[in-house]
Amino acid sequence: MNYPIWHIPSVGGGLLIAIISILHVYVAHFAIGGGLFLVITEMKGYRENSQDIIDYTKRHAKFFLLLTMVFGSITGVGIWFIISLVHPSATSILIHNFVFGWATEWVFFVGEIVSLFIYFYTFDRMDRKNHLLIGWLYFIFAWLSLFIINGIVTFMLTPGDWLLTGDFWDGFFNPTFWPSLFFRTSLALMLAGLFGFLTSTAIKERGLRETMIRYCARWLILPMLILPLMAYWYLSWISGLPQGMIKGRSPELIPFVKTFIWLMPILFLGGIVMAIRMPSAIKRSLAFLLLIGGLLYMGSFEWIREASRRPYIIYDYMYSNAVLKSQMDEINEKGFLRKAKWVKTKIIDHENFMAVGEEIFNLQCLSCHTVGGFVNDILPRTAKFAHFGMDAMLNGLGKINDYMPPFMGTVKEREAVASYIVNGLHKKPDMKRLFPPLKQLALEIPPFDENTDKYILLAWSDLGIRFISDNDSYFNISPPGNTIFAQLIKRGETPQLVTEGIDLSYKVETGFERPSRHVDFWKFVNVLFGRSIENDVGLNGNAPAGKMTFKKDFNSFEAAAIPIVPYRDDQLYNPYPLVTIEARDKESGKIIVSTMCVAPISTEMGCKNCHGGRWRFKDMGGLDAETAMDLLGVHDRMSKTQLLESAKAGSPKRCQSCHSDQIYNVQGKPELLNLSASMHGFHANYMTGRGADACEACHPVSSTGFTRGFRGIHARMGLTCVTCHGTLEDHALSLLLKEYKDGKEGAMKLMRHLKPRLAPKKEEIQPRSPWVNEPDCLTCHIEFRPPLNNASGFNRWTKNKKDLYRLRSDEMGILCTACHGSTHALYPAVNPYGKNRDNLQPDQYQKMPYPLGSNKNCKVCHTIDMADEMHHPNSLRMVRTMKE
Amino acid sequence: MDPSHLIPFPDPIPVPWVWVEFLLLLTFVIHLLFMNTMIGTGIIAFVYHIRRPRAISPLTEDISKMIPYAIAFTVNMGVAPLLFLQVLYGHFIYVSSVLMAVYWISIIVLLILAYYSAYIYDFRYEALGSFRLFFIGLSVAIFLLIGFFITNNMTLMIKPEAWGAYFGPDHGRILNLSDPTLWPRYLHFMTASVALGGLFIAMMPRLKRPRDLKDRDDRITLGMRWFSYATLAQIAIGLWFLMALPPHLKMRFMGGDFFYSGVFVVGIAGAVVSLIFGFKQRVVPAAISVIGTIILMVIIRDLVRWGYLNRYFTPSSLKLIHQYSPFILFVCSLVIVLVVIGYMLRLASRIGKGV
Repeated sequence: MNYPIWHIPSVGGGLLIAIISILHVYVAHFAIGGGLFLVITEMKGYRENSQDIIDYTKRHAKFFLLLTMVFGSITGVGIWFIISLVHPSATSILIHNFVFGWATEWVFFVGEIVSLFIYFYTFDRMDRKNHLLIGWLYFIFAWLSLFIINGIVTFMLTPGDWLLTGDFWDGFFNPTFWPSLFFRTSLALMLAGLFGFLTSTAIKERGLRETMIRYCARWLILPMLILPLMAYWYLSWISGLPQGMIKGRSPELIPFVKTFIWLMPILFLGGIVMAIRMPSAIKRSLAFLLLIGGLLYMGSFEWIREASRRPYIIYDYMYSNAVLKSQMDEINEKGFLRKAKWVKTKIIDHENFMAVGEEIFNLQCLSCHTVGGFVNDILPRTAKFAHFGMDAMLNGLGKINDYMPPFMGTVKEREAVASYIVNGLHKKPDMKRLFPPLKQLALEIPPFDENTDKYILLAWSDLGIRFISDNDSYFNISPPGNTIFAQLIKRGETPQLVTEGIDLSYKVETGFERPSRHVDFWKFVNVLFGRSIENDVGLNGNAPAGKMTFKKDFNSFEAAAIPIVPYRDDQLYNPYPLVTIEARDKESGKIIVSTMCVAPISTEMGCKNCHGGRWRFKDMGGLDAETAMDLLGVHDRMSKTQLLESAKAGSPKRCQSCHSDQIYNVQGKPELLNLSASMHGFHANYMTGRGADACEACHPVSSTGFTRGFRGIHARMGLTCVTCHGTLEDHALSLLLKEYKDGKEGAMKLMRHLKPRLAPKKEEIQPRSPWVNEPDCLTCHIEFRPPLNNASGFNRWTKNKKDLYRLRSDEMGILCTACHGSTHALYPAVNPYGKNRDNLQPDQYQKMPYPLGSNKNCKVCHTIDMADEMHHPNSLRMVRTMKE
Repeated sequence: MDPSHLIPFPDPIPVPWVWVEFLLLLTFVIHLLFMNTMIGTGIIAFVYHIRRPRAISPLTEDISKMIPYAIAFTVNMGVAPLLFLQVLYGHFIYVSSVLMAVYWISIIVLLILAYYSAYIYDFRYEALGSFRLFFIGLSVAIFLLIGFFITNNMTLMIKPEAWGAYFGPDHGRILNLSDPTLWPRYLHFMTASVALGGLFIAMMPRLKRPRDLKDRDDRITLGMRWFSYATLAQIAIGLWFLMALPPHLKMRFMGGDFFYSGVFVVGIAGAVVSLIFGFKQRVVPAAISVIGTIILMVIIRDLVRWGYLNRYFTPSSLKLIHQYSPFILFVCSLVIVLVVIGYMLRLASRIGKGV
């Protein structure tokens, strides 16, 4: 941003640097090893008194001169030219810090030119001793050039103490100086043999040809014996992040590392094969093949070295896009446009939004990415994104994927770049958020006569918001199912909780009884859960209709994991199907009371917002294959798994098979983060600075979505997810901190870049286990009283499972949820598919949507008015929040 | 847009700027001498082959042998001043290079072509026949083109007012064609090459042993003729260049600034003296006076750059971080290598033929 950029988006400056540099270093290393080769071979000629060998050396010297002096030296200047065009800022730092290093290298370059000219043009004419001396001097100058340039090249990857001192020598004799010098010297010697094949295979006389080829083979093979050790030594001195990149963290590097490793034995064997007698035409072709192999070997090495220091161009000092690490905070605060010199616009507004996005994109992204080019093409990498996903991706750059620099700038600038990529580069239309008119479903409230009916049957779903993944051929995060609880109360002045002598049965709404018609769960249940169950039967053995079982712990009846999906047989999307519950007298079999409740079940998982794809079911919900494949691909890339391959081979995995999950009581792999911590921890890095919109991006709670799951009284009072759970960063940190405390190192990787927002520092966030330590109602409703203004449930969690709202009961054994409704759907709730769909029992028993017994309606169970607050303090009063 | 906002922040330098400036001027003079000889002799050989397409001559054969050396040292001696230029003016030259990136990087490809073409002209001189014209022509044409690109860059880097073109459509393809100094400046360098090429030809009898040379007098006559007429043209082009300078700068050379005008007057005097020696065919005095003139002209060229930039920047404003040890390393290695080179040249000259 200090400098303008050379705008060649379809080519990419990086590729030009790579082409010029790799060709140059290949020849330049030959210029060193080949120099030694010349004198040693000349000496061999003298020693063996062979004019043929001397003549060969002279011919090789001509080839050497023409290749190294012309191509080698001009491409050397070429590297300098190209880096100053593509990375002027970094070039400037190299030039200014090492000016007299460069100048010294230039001095040796002068020595090289003079000595090589004399060596070549006086061949056979100067006396042997002096001629050899000139040859030795050439080699020494050439090697000294390497010595100098090696210090500067290695500096970029391992600047060492220079970062602290800024001292020339600290930068020059940096941690990888020596391993690199020896590695490159060995490489140079090896190339002498490789290039020697070119001239030796061209020798006409067979005997000499074979002798010289074998001689060259020795030059190739001997250095290769120590090259792997040198490479290992080199790698071991590259510490920290770059070493991790080389060892597989950077997906870009994997093919280069493989090439580098595989070519070593191939070249070695090639050298041995060359020593075997065979027709000269074959040897000549093999010589060229080996030369190409050598180029690829050298190229892959240089690429690894260059790319392993990502996201930096000068490690830990300057990012690949020329922004200094030290400038980051200021840029994030004041904005990139204000700090950048080469931008047309300094102020961002609605009119120039895209244009500004393009300018920032050019300055921050084009240093590594091309647009439609060979190298790191941005188009396929961003094709899946709509604006939200793109923005999230930019938000998360440089955090977990630490091979890229973070986005630098304000949120608005980031959004502008997202717009440019999505609407400009991909020309996708602006996606307006849909506000679908949801079908209002008819609701028949079961009858109740307060004068004659003797029983009250209360039933509710254990979770007010439940979402499932419905593309089981790829993976499963939660099986289709909803658990219904019920409590039966015998009315009277002293009502009784009835637990014996009755049968409770349940039945899902017509049209929802055959979920296997809509999802693949039953096809894959064996692979996913290791057991087969019949179609349309849930994991606990419950069918869409059946008997409820009594759970002593909760004094209530339960129908666990009723198989249910939000797709009705007539293709209606309804995330709130009804379940009818009937209580019968055990002896007579007569129905004594019946009621209904919703079984919330949604497939509105927002994965596609970032992972691409579309809704699987009628643009309303469901996970399609494209989305599933992408998210498995990302998981595979980042966690080195093979989930996608496995799924494609017919063996999808359940998330919980590795990640423990308390809600299903699954242990997973003990060293891995639990599912909730890993999901929230990972995604929080991509959605910072947001409010409930971050939650809505994934969970079915958006007020403009198809489920609108957060529908209880709290939603109507203006509370959001954040009020109780904290922002996504806080929420994720609370989960990760617990995992970290429990010794899971992986948590740190996800936590490193997360900053708490509702607590001043990380240490002040209370670690918590998911599904156990949750927001506690009594944090805000102290003593069951109305909350103070701006009360927040965040950071004071329930101590254990028993304290959870959904499992807690009063002293009479009545569960909180029995009277107040499911979590997130507390009475009076507003259901998007019919206003009172969630308030069925209040409506049935009290003709009003408020909690059971509210507005001093004790009669509903007690048949008479009561004077004491038996269930909980502050219960005997009128509802504060009357619903219109 | 205020162009000063576009000028990047420079990086600090390790030794006082005058050292760098000195090295810049010194190495640039040497670069010019090689470059001028390379292009000048190339042009003269090219003209010879146009006139006599199939003929060979000892002179052009000698030129063919000499040009690859000249290229090697022109490039080598170009590296050093470009390095020192980047140290003092990196924040200008990087910008102008990026603006004309396509042309700037093409120099590398072109140079490789020209270099190999020159080697073909050298190694296959006799066998080439009428293709001699083609290969020396290709090399010369490329040299002229590269010179044009370099002149563009050197004028664009001192004109931040022209940098706004970056925001136009011509990414990486911006030349400084609207600058009135571009053409006279370019021609000034290229005509100097013809003069120096001629002078080099006239010098050849002194560089080679007399017995190797039968056309000794012809070379001196031919060479000094090229030298003298080119120098004459140089004076005219130089004046054109002067007139094309912005008024405030022009005035400095024409009495407005004592130092500027002084150097300028001495420079002109040097050119006139060279011219006189040229027409008198006095090779060595002409060579001495023209080298002196070149040194003055290089200083004038730097004064012009100062004049253009001083409202934005002076090298003395660069932050200095005082690190002398690398500088000492450089000076020591330079002395050692020069001694070794001297020794090597002595060994080479002993076998009867210098390089």
